[in-house]
Amino acid sequence: LGKPLGTIATYTEHELVTLLKSRDTRAFSYLYDNYSGSLYTVIAQIIDDIEVANDVLQEVFINIWRKIESYDPMKGRLFTWMLNIARNASIDTVRSKSYQNSQKNLAISDSNETGGAQAEQVNIDNIGFRKVLERLKKEQRVLIDLAYFKGYTHEEIAEIEDIPLGTVKTRIRNALMQLREYLK
Amino acid sequence: VNIGEYISSGIVESYVLGLADETERKEFEEMCAAHPKVRAARDSFEISLEENAKFGQLQPRANVKSKIFSAIEMDLSTVQSQLSSGNNGGIPPVIRNESGSSSGGANERSSAAVVRMKTYKWQSLIAAAAVVLLVLSTALNFYFFNQYKRYYSEYQSLVTAQTELAAHNQVMETRLLEYEKAVDMMKDPGMAMVKMSATSNNPDPTSATMVFWDTASKDVYLAVSKLPKPATGEQYQLWALVDGKPVDAGVFDMKDGPGMMKMKNIPKAQAFAITLEKRGGSPTPTMEKLYVMGKV
Repeated sequence: LGKPLGTIATYTEHELVTLLKSRDTRAFSYLYDNYSGSLYTVIAQIIDDIEVANDVLQEVFINIWRKIESYDPMKGRLFTWMLNIARNASIDTVRSKSYQNSQKNLAISDSNETGGAQAEQVNIDNIGFRKVLERLKKEQRVLIDLAYFKGYTHEEIAEIEDIPLGTVKTRIRNALMQLREYLK
Repeated sequence: VNIGEYISSGIVESYVLGLADETERKEFEEMCAAHPKVRAARDSFEISLEENAKFGQLQPRANVKSKIFSAIEMDLSTVQSQLSSGNNGGIPPVIRNESGSSSGGANERSSAAVVRMKTYKWQSLIAAAAVVLLVLSTALNFYFFNQYKRYYSEYQSLVTAQTELAAHNQVMETRLLEYEKAVDMMKDPGMAMVKMSATSNNPDPTSATMVFWDTASKDVYLAVSKLPKPATGEQYQLWALVDGKPVDAGVFDMKDGPGMMKMKNIPKAQAFAITLEKRGGSPTPTMEKLYVMGKV
């Protein structure tokens, strides 16, 4: 897909960050156009409900705009910073009481009517980070899912999976090393 | 620390994906700052993660962007209105800096000024209304007091006029009664009328008086038509001539109108005469001052 040159401005990451910190709405528009898909994909991999996922994406971008001052380039790239905001917001949402209640109601209506809310859900197993995860061994995949997509600490995972904490740490580390290889 | 082993420990991925704990993060940030190889490994993983995320993306709803922009534009307009409200308050930036207040402080101050302005507006409105009412009330007081004064003086003169009228009415009534009495006396066939004419002693020859003498009751009434005005200390006295001797019939004062004056009862008389005497009368008449006389 070739972008029409001249009509769409392109920025280096440094330029983009500088403009965002000076409250440049055009730079923010560019940021949304270039990163909303990536961030929404991560959000949708954590939140099943499409309506809620869109709401969280909205909230995430508003927070990026408001908190851009606190972004420190020394600690990582802009995308990494935004990705962590999106992941944390998604996990917080999934863990919230209101979301859990609404999902319970959905589950009840799903069992009564086939289709319905399920049509709103997308098969996310074959995209982005998930697709890479698919290549991991199942025991590793489960742990990465619990740690990355559900936000559990190593201690919590050890309890949930009923395996020693050391084993959890080793398996996750090995899984991450493999992910790096797959991503290259 | 072996840098190669550290990089291969999974800490890079753990840090970038947000899975590292607080201690691990701090340590990794220090390692990044100290060792370009660690930093390079981090950059490399971040870029590969970012590039990977671009493939097979899901797309959010189309209205999300406009919702985000209306939210941030509200943020911007709030900031702008805060700034402009500070400027519109007429407070020079230099003074704002000297007072050392934040934009929030300036905002509070200007909103306090607005409140003060509003209060001042209300106070001045109330004060203006009070002044108007006071002036109006004073004017009305003055007007009503003048009205009252006019009506009171009119009332007073009416009362006076009424009193005068009543007095006058009484006078007329009395006078009418006297006329009636006189007419009755003149109509009475038993009433002897004695006309007394001026004598040579009288300075006014036109002087005339009448005596009405009731032949039945012997009462005597005197009607003076005209007599010279007596001097102070003098009084007229009526005399009855009985068998050649003067008998006192009473003193009288001159008065207006046809008034019939009831004099003393005289059982018998041949003539009547009036002399001018000292006030209170005399036992015997002063012949030089006999002014009128008439025979029965």
